Parts: sequence; structure tokens; C-alpha cells
Amino acid sequence: MNRRGFLGLASALALWTLPAAADPVQKPFRIYMALWRGWEDAAQGFKDYFTNQNIPVELIIRDAGQDRSKLPEFVAEAKQLGVDLVFTWGTTVTVDMLGTYDKVDPAKHITDIPAVFAIVSQPDGAKVVPDLSSSRRNIAGTSYLVPMETQVNLLQSYRPVRRLGMVYNPLEKNSLVAADELRALGRRDGFELVVAPVDVVDGKPVVASIAPKVAGLKQAGVDFLYIPPDTFLNVNRDILTGAALAEKIPSFAAAENPVLFSKAMFGGVYRYYTVGQLTAYKAEQILVHRKAPADLPIEPPKRLSIIINMPVVRALEIYPPMGLLGLAEVVDTPEEPRQ
Amino acid sequence: MRLDSSRSLLIRLLMLAVLVLVPPMGLASFMALDRFEQGMNPELDRKAAAVGRDLVVQVERAVAYGIPVEKLVGVDEFFAQVLSGNPEIRYLGITGTDGTILFLRGALGGQLADHYREQAGSLSDKDGATLQIGDFVDLALPVKGRSGLVGSVHVGFDQGYISSRLFSIFYDIAVVLGASLIVAFEILLFVVVFNVSGPMKLVAEVIGQGRKGDFSHMPGIRADDEVGHFARVFNASMRKVDSAYRGLMAYIDEVRTGHFDRGAAERAGDIADRVKFLFRFDASGAPGFLREKLSSDVRLPLFLFVFAEEISRSFLPLFAQSLPRRMTLLTPELMIALPIAVFMAGIALGSLWGGAVTERLGSRRVFQIGLVPAVLGCLMSGLSQSVIELSLWRGITGLGYALVTVACQGYISKATNDGNRATGLGSYVGAVLSAALCGTAIGGVMADRIGFAPSFFVSAGLVVVSGLLLGYLLEKVPTSPDLPPAAEGDPKGLSRIFLNWRFTVLVLFAAIPAKIALTGYFFFLVPLVLWGTEHTLPEIARIMVLYPLVMLVVSYYATRFADQWGWRVGQIAVGGILGGVGILLAALFDGTWPLMLGIVFLGAAHGMSASPQLALIPDICWVECQHYGRTQVLALLRTLERIGSVVGPLLAAVFWPLWGAEGAIVAIGSVVLGMAAVFAMLAGRYGDGPHLESEEGAQ
Amino acid sequence: MSWSLSRKVSAALIAILASTMLLTALFGFYRFEDEVSSLVRSRYSFVAFTIKKRVEDSLNLGFALRQLRQVQDAIELEKTRDEQIVGIEIYDSRGEILFNSDRGRIGASVPDEWLQPLAEPTGQPFALMDEDSHAVGLPLVNSLGKVEGAVVLVYPAGYVERELGGALWRLAGQMAGIVVVFAVLTILAASVALSPVRRRLAAMEAALNTALGDTPAADGSAAAPEVNAEFDGNFGEFVAKAREALEHIKLSTEEVERLDRLA
Repeated sequence: MNRRGFLGLASALALWTLPAAADPVQKPFRIYMALWRGWEDAAQGFKDYFTNQNIPVELIIRDAGQDRSKLPEFVAEAKQLGVDLVFTWGTTVTVDMLGTYDKVDPAKHITDIPAVFAIVSQPDGAKVVPDLSSSRRNIAGTSYLVPMETQVNLLQSYRPVRRLGMVYNPLEKNSLVAADELRALGRRDGFELVVAPVDVVDGKPVVASIAPKVAGLKQAGVDFLYIPPDTFLNVNRDILTGAALAEKIPSFAAAENPVLFSKAMFGGVYRYYTVGQLTAYKAEQILVHRKAPADLPIEPPKRLSIIINMPVVRALEIYPPMGLLGLAEVVDTPEEPRQ
Repeated sequence: MRLDSSRSLLIRLLMLAVLVLVPPMGLASFMALDRFEQGMNPELDRKAAAVGRDLVVQVERAVAYGIPVEKLVGVDEFFAQVLSGNPEIRYLGITGTDGTILFLRGALGGQLADHYREQAGSLSDKDGATLQIGDFVDLALPVKGRSGLVGSVHVGFDQGYISSRLFSIFYDIAVVLGASLIVAFEILLFVVVFNVSGPMKLVAEVIGQGRKGDFSHMPGIRADDEVGHFARVFNASMRKVDSAYRGLMAYIDEVRTGHFDRGAAERAGDIADRVKFLFRFDASGAPGFLREKLSSDVRLPLFLFVFAEEISRSFLPLFAQSLPRRMTLLTPELMIALPIAVFMAGIALGSLWGGAVTERLGSRRVFQIGLVPAVLGCLMSGLSQSVIELSLWRGITGLGYALVTVACQGYISKATNDGNRATGLGSYVGAVLSAALCGTAIGGVMADRIGFAPSFFVSAGLVVVSGLLLGYLLEKVPTSPDLPPAAEGDPKGLSRIFLNWRFTVLVLFAAIPAKIALTGYFFFLVPLVLWGTEHTLPEIARIMVLYPLVMLVVSYYATRFADQWGWRVGQIAVGGILGGVGILLAALFDGTWPLMLGIVFLGAAHGMSASPQLALIPDICWVECQHYGRTQVLALLRTLERIGSVVGPLLAAVFWPLWGAEGAIVAIGSVVLGMAAVFAMLAGRYGDGPHLESEEGAQ
Repeated sequence: MSWSLSRKVSAALIAILASTMLLTALFGFYRFEDEVSSLVRSRYSFVAFTIKKRVEDSLNLGFALRQLRQVQDAIELEKTRDEQIVGIEIYDSRGEILFNSDRGRIGASVPDEWLQPLAEPTGQPFALMDEDSHAVGLPLVNSLGKVEGAVVLVYPAGYVERELGGALWRLAGQMAGIVVVFAVLTILAASVALSPVRRRLAAMEAALNTALGDTPAADGSAAAPEVNAEFDGNFGEFVAKAREALEHIKLSTEEVERLDRLA
């Protein structure tokens, strides 16, 4: 099984060699990309950046397919190939391949080759770096979660909220953390958080309980629904956002999918694509401009993507302020004429 | 001899100057403002159109997404942002198709509602319409939705905005006008003194002699004006009397030598003796011309010279800051302080040398010699490419400055006697301070317009003009070789003066801290701090002008006060403490006000204590003044206090990197205040101890 | 030409008036020019800013700068809206022009000094100047905070001279007129202000002439009192003393003559 998986991966091995624009004899940089769950937007943004900037790179792409046991093989392979840089996707890949700052083992981890990481929820919390200003070792990276305070400010800028509702899966730790943060910010900003965890039966969240929970929030008088970056809710986003729309509750999503592909009213996110580009920018600083990775701060993209779902807005008749509208990307149905 | 009280003549002429300068300037400014406003209007229209178009695009985008115009959200904040970014726009609004105001920010709806309703019908599909509503100009642009017109965006601007923007021009105009009035005063003073009161003073002297029967002198006046004409008539009368006398004497001589009768000859001799007894005529055959040096002769050239030198006052440290600093041995702050310190050192050296040289060569030569480094220094300061170069040339300028001012002082003290020397020196101080006033103010306005380096060239030009003027004036007066220095005593062993603790305390704790405050705080820190807090050059200059202004006023009254009450030590002590406290105000409050107050305090402090410092010397150094000469002792004080001038900017530059700009001000203020406090404490004991006279015996 | 006192005074005053007027007119003009050009610049900055906003919104969606074809249309539209705009161009961080209101320039390179403002991390607007044109520029920043290029709007320099030259020359003419009018007034006023001086000098001259003239002294003494009253005592005493001297010498001469004739 293990071996077959590796063979399958080996056959999927692909090489991208981009032509060097400025200097035809310039050797492309060799970058080892270790992914967790296949090729997605962050990887695409990473790759596109080099294309757009005319930087010749050779990408060696490996997908762990959410299988942690493959990661030691990746470490060995990257070392053996002697690549110029390693890209790691997600917290698991990053921690297993690069180690935490207090436990680095040159035998098990990549130490001599510079590395950049992306899509690590909490680079400092996961001990990848001691703090966000510098890794103090041979790695650099980006963060991708919008700080809760920024999310709340954005939400408030659409419409001041007095009672914020939140439906979540009590089994997911991320959501619990989000609820705590929201409660703290609510004390500061003067709003009350009303939580409605979905029912759990046999250790599994019950999909059918989502709509009643939303209705319950409506009864409790919430004026905005917060949709946390919760895997269970992401899967069942149509049910959740549909229920919110039916109850005429405007909804804010911390992830892009509920807004882009469902009926959440609006959201504020760092797009994976942009995060991938920013990670490539860090790689450029290391490879092309010869900067030490420790000198590069761990930071999110400069610009937040604000996404407004116009059909939902029209249905609710809760219109976005002009300033926000000017900054936002608008999702609209094709039959509606767009400017 | 007063023709007309020349003071009232001067006042009449000054009123004339104000009358001639102020109304045309006011009229011209008013016309210019009007024209400028008209000139800016079309451009405002275009700006309003550009802003309006962008707003329409954004509103139409929202409308296209299906948001009804009247239900737009957050328009107020949205408008507020545009308004704050474009201050010339007065208000922004959105109206519906019928002209009702849906949103409006920056104006009151009541003013506009009626106009909008009237306009509503005519706007329909046009590209836009302009409407004059009171002082506002309103541009209306249609907003179109899918089904046609849905409303309009209004951009309004206020015509008064331009006036308010242009109003700051008036500050510049006021500064130039004020300076012009001072220059006019100086020039008129010169014209009156040179053409009227000076010659008439000579006439008065001759008349004074004549009324006692002394016809030996005539006023030596060459002029082709009314005074000259009068002088010719006057001299003709003098010559007439004189020639009658000569005729008589010749006749008598003839009679005495030719007459055979001894008795007749003797009687003729008696007549001659009687005439000679009653009247006095010049022995040499014709009345001699009386000419006289006037202390006021040098006032105008001195004014111009100091004016030229003060032009760079408000921006010298900024100029130094803008130059590349190649040498990295010193901190950047010390490099900026260097030109001021070296300039002060140049002045110190120049005064030491100039004092000695004036006695030998005479004022005019020293003045001419001093002009060379002064002109060269100004010119080359402007051409300097590095701080070191600039410092070098400032040093040379300082040398020239010292030579010229020493020469002028020498001239004045030669032209005056003990009775009117105070008036002469008062005129000197007045010229220097009013020149500082004009130079600083004009310098800021000028440097803002033409740049630092060209301003130095203007300085050089003015120095040349003042040199030419003085050369011409001094030529008119016979350069009676300056008398060899009155045997004033032996300067050797002067260093023993430091044994006089009163002198040492005065130098260390009053004279030196005053100079540290002047150069370290006022010359160095103030321009840099003001520049750092986003003040323009003319503003800096306007603030710095406060110092000479306050000093001028305070010193006028302080001198009178000191003469009347003889409380010199107290004035020095209070002045020192006042200066230190003023500087320290910056630590207590934020903003520009404490700095301005500090400058006012400093001006008051120095105006209060400067002349008592000098006047105190004969009191506390009575013995030394007798022994070495008062001039020598005063010169020593002036030289020693310049140590403070040199140290001031350097000290401030050392403090700056340690505690920042504000910290440096506080540090300098503390030093000044601390030293002043020491002086105040010790000065309380000035009256104690062995009585002054009895110290002579102790020596 | 002789320089009378009032001429000297009026010449000095007129010179001061003229130079003050000139100086303030120059300062005022330059200040006005600053004001107008900052207004012009602010308008073009605003236009450039709307383009920047549009481009950055697109960059944020992940498009590469050189792919934004619709930007070309936008800048051509802005150019047609204002005939004074010389050109609008967008170039990348290496200086290659990607879009230009003049399509022929696309692909060319911008001058090196246009790239310098992009090196600064601030992303601040910048202004560029040469002899006959000004430019306002805004760096284009992508969502990573990285400067991708810049949009620059070029407009002609010398707005004030071109648009307002005539009016300003008329204004200068009016100011010159004011100076002339006040110069004439100055001459008149100076002459009035100095007339007492002139009168007294003339009176003293007359007194001298009468007292010491060829006319008999008796006439002089008759005329003298009223004139003398105007001076302070000394001049009268002087005149009297001078006449006394003349008379005394005359008498003495007669006395000597008698002695001489006696012989």
C-alpha cells in the first residue's frame, strides 16, 4: 500500500521548467514543493508568481495526500536532490519537514536548504517560528488567517452589530477558539455573542440540526451570523447559508467558499492564491535577492479580499456602505447586468 | 542750530513713508487677490468635474448592482473621505430625479433645496450643469441606471476657498512691507542726517563761534540742494566779513610799514589789536573749513551689512543639514552645528585682531579689509558643496563680520565724545537689531522662493553695496589719522583680572550662558526643530524675528531702568533666569507656542541684561579698569563670552542624539538656567566683602 | 540738474516703493503659481488615483499587470476627457511601458529616473518634472504590498503662463500704474513736508543778505526782527555779530584812512 502510493506519486511527478527570459543560460532555481491535499489555489499562486515575474524555476511537486507517513521520504528526497528551496503546504507538512524551532533534528528535518511555508494557521502557536517578526532560522513563510479583530472590524463596517450569532461544530477546536475571541471582542465593542453548537450524536455532528439552530438564533434576536472556518460547516454551507437567508439574517463568512459558491452575504479573507503569490515573493527574496530567510517577517498579504454576494444582498435588502462596496469584489448572478 | 526740529522733520518724513508705501501695497494686493481668484476658478471647475465623474461611476456601479439610489448606505462617510482628500471641494450631495436631497455632506440642505428643485427638470440627459448658489458653485452630474436617469451627484466648491488659500501670501507681503518700512526709515534717517541735520550741525557750530566773534571757520558743506545753497550764501557772508577784515589788515600793514609817522603807525597798530581783540579770524589768510565726523554716517552701511549677514539666520542649520556630509568622524548633528560654531569662532578671532588693527590703520582701512572676507565668505558659502567647506567659509565670513563691526564701533567712538558716545553706541545697537529684524524675516521669505545658495549671493551683493556706500561716505570726511591709542594702560598681566571673583563670575555664569542660549538654542536648535515640525521657511523666519523685536523693545526700557535705578546686577541675574526658564517651557508644553515663548523670553532676557553687563564692568573692575584701561577689560569680556557662542551649537549638537530634539532644548535650557542660578546666588554677594575702593589697597 | 532736498527724499521713497512692489509682486506671483500648480496637480493626481484603484483591484484578483487589457481603454477614455493631458502610461517595475494612451509607445522603456520612486518602500505618490511637462505618478501595489509598477500622468508645464499670462501682465501694468501715481504723490508730499525747511533756509539767507548786503544796515535791522523770530536766538546773534564786525571793520578802516590822510 505504502509502496504503491509512492509509485503512484512517482508517476505523477511532473517537472515544470520555465524558460529564462532575461538570460537564456541562467540555470532555473529548483524548488521542492511538498503539498498536503493536492494542487490547489495557494500552489497555483506560488507557481504563477514566478511565471509573471519571469523567474525561471523548476518545480518538483510532491503530494502527501493527507498521509503523514510520507513526509520523512520527502525530506530525504529533497536533501538527495539538493534543491535550492523547499516549499511546504500546511501545518502538518511544515512541522514534520522543518521541525519546530525548539526541536530541530538535522537527521529528520530540512535544515541546510532554505524553506518557505504557506497555509500554516498559527506559525507561532505551532512553534514553527518563535514569533512572527523572524523565524531565526533558515525558513521564511506567510500566514493566511485574517486576525479576528480585522474580521470583526470589517463586519461592523458593513453594519453595526449588537447580537452576533454563531453556529459551529463543537468538535472542531478552531471554532471554539473563534468563539472565545469573538466573546472578548464583543466585550470591547459592545456586542453579545450568541452561540449555537450543532447537535452531536455518536461523536458526529448532525447535519439536520443546522437549520433549527439558525432559527433558534433568529429567535434570540441576532442581527448577524458569523460563519467560522469550520470544515463541517464548509461541507454543509448551502444548508447553513440557505437557512440564514430564509430567516433574513445577514451572514459573514471567514472563508471564501460560503460567499463565492453559496449564499453567505459577505466575507473577508486572504485568498489562497494571493497567499501563494506572497510565499513565492518570499522565495524570490531568498533565491534572487539573496536575503537571509531569518530577515523576512512572517506576514499575511497586505490586502484583504472583501467579497460581497450581491443576490443575497438584494434579497435581504441590507445594502453595503459605499466605501465598502468600492473596495469589495462583488459576486453577482450572470443574469443581473454588471457594470 | 536747528532749522526746524529735525526730529519732527524725521517724523513727518516717516509718516510720508508710511503713507506712500502702505496704501499702494494694500491696493495692489487687493487687486492681485481678485485677479488670482478669477484665474483659479476654471481650474476649480475642472477639479470638481474630475471628482464628480469618479463619484458618478461609483454611484452608478452601486445602482447597477440593484441598490436603489435613495437606499445607498454609508454615503456620508464615503463623501467625508473624498472631502478630506480634496479640501477645495466644499460639499458633496446626491439628489433624486425630482431634485430632493437624498444625501448631502459639507453644507446645509436648506441653502440648496430650492435651487435643486428648480434645476431638476432641466437636468435630464445633459452631461452636467453648473449653478451659482450664493458663494458656492454647484456642479450637477446625472446618474443613470438601467431605466435612465435616477438622480444626480452634486459637487460644490466655495469661491472663498481660494481667498483663504491665497491669504497666506499676505503674511509674506506684510513681512516684506514691514521690512521695507524699516529700510525706508533707515534710508530717510540717512538722507535727513546726511543732507540736513549733519550740515546744519556744522553751521550751528560755526554760528556758535561767530556769535562770540570768532569768524575763523566756515562750514565745509558741498551740496547742490537748498542746504548747499544756504551754505554758499552763508559762506559768502563769512568771506565778506573775512575779506573786509583782510582788507583792513592789509591797509593797516601798509600804513604801519609805509607811514613815516611812527605815531600814526602805532595808532593803526592799536586799531588792529582792537579788532583782533574783539573778533577772531583765521590766521592763515582765509577761514578754514570745518568738517566733522558724525557717528550716524556709518549707520546705513552698517545696517545694510548686518542685514546681509542676517539673511541666513533662519536657515543656516537647514542649509548645513541639506549638504552632503562626507566626513563621518562627527555625528550628523555636530556637522550641522559646525558652520555656526566656526562662524562664531571667526567672529571671536576677528574681533581680537580687529581691535588692535583699527588703532593702527584707522576705521576706513579695516572696514575695507573686512569687506573682502565678508563678500568672499558669503559668495563661497552659497557655492559650498559640503559641510566642511561651508564651515570654512562661514568662519571667513565671521572674520569679515567682526572686522567690519569693530571698524564701525571704532569709527563711532572716534566720532563721539564722552557726552554723546552713549547715543552713538545706541544708534549702533539700533541699526544692528533692526537689520537683524529685516534680514531674518526677508531671508526666510527669500530662501523659500529662490533657495539657500542664491540667498547667500544676495547677501554678498548687499555687502558689496554697503561697502561702496561706506567707502563713499568716509571719503567725504577727511581721514584724520586716528589718534594713537590713548595710553590706556598696560594690557600685560591682564590675566590677573581673573583673581577678581566678581569678574570671573560675571563671565562664567552670566556672559557665557547668555551666548550659549543664543547660539545653541536660538541659532541652532530653533530652526531645526521648527523645520522638523513642518514649518515653512517664511514661518520659521517670522517666528525667529521675535527675538530681535523683543530685544529692541526691552533693551530700550531696560537701559533707562538701569540708569535710573542702578540695579544692574539684578537685571543680569533676572535676565539669565528668564532666558533659561523660557527655553525650558518647551519641555512643559507641546507645539510651536512654547518655542515662540522661549524666543520671546530670550529676547527679553538679553535685552534686559546685555547692556548692564557692559555697564557693570567699571563698577566691579574699578581697579583693573584704572590699571589696564577700560577698553581692554571690556574687550576681554567680549572675547571670553564668545567662548559661549562657539560652545553653544556644539553642546546642543551633542545633546541632540542623546535625548532627541526636545531633550536637547531641555538640556540647553537646564544648563543656561543652572548657570544663571549660580550667578544669581553669587551676585547677591557682590556688595559684600571688602569695599571696592579698598581693594585697591589690597592689590 | 540739481538735487534739491525734496528730490532726494522723493527719489529714495520712490525707489523703496518700486522695489517693495516688485519684490512683493514676484513673491505673490510665485506663491500664486505654486497654488495653481498644486491645484492642477491635485486634479491629475485624482485622475491617476482612480486609474490606480482600478488597476490594483484587478491585481488583487490575481491578474498580472500586463494582462489587464481593459486598462488601456480606461486610460484612453481619461485622455479624451481632458485635452490637456499629454499622456497616461503604466509601466512595470523594470520600466517597460505596458499601457499608454499613445499606443505606439507600448513596449518602450521609461527614463531611469521614473523608476527611482518605485524603489522607495513607502509607495507614496511622486511628481516628476522637466522643462515642458510635469508628471504625477502613483506606484501600483499588489495585494502582497509589492510595487508592481506605476501609473504616470503627464501634463504640460507652465499652466499659469499659458492660461493666465495675459491677465497677469495686465495686472502688472496696473501695479506699475499705481507706482507711478504714488510716485507723483510722493514728489508732491515730499515737497510739502520739506517746505518749512526750505522756507527757513530762504529766510535765513534773506536775513544774511539784508544784514550783510550792500544796502545800508538800517534797512536790515528793520526787516530782521520778524524773520529772526523764527530762528533760535543764536542765528540772530550771529547775524548781529557779523554786522557788528563788518561795521566795526568799516569804522576801523575809516579811522585808518584818516590816519593815512593825516600824514
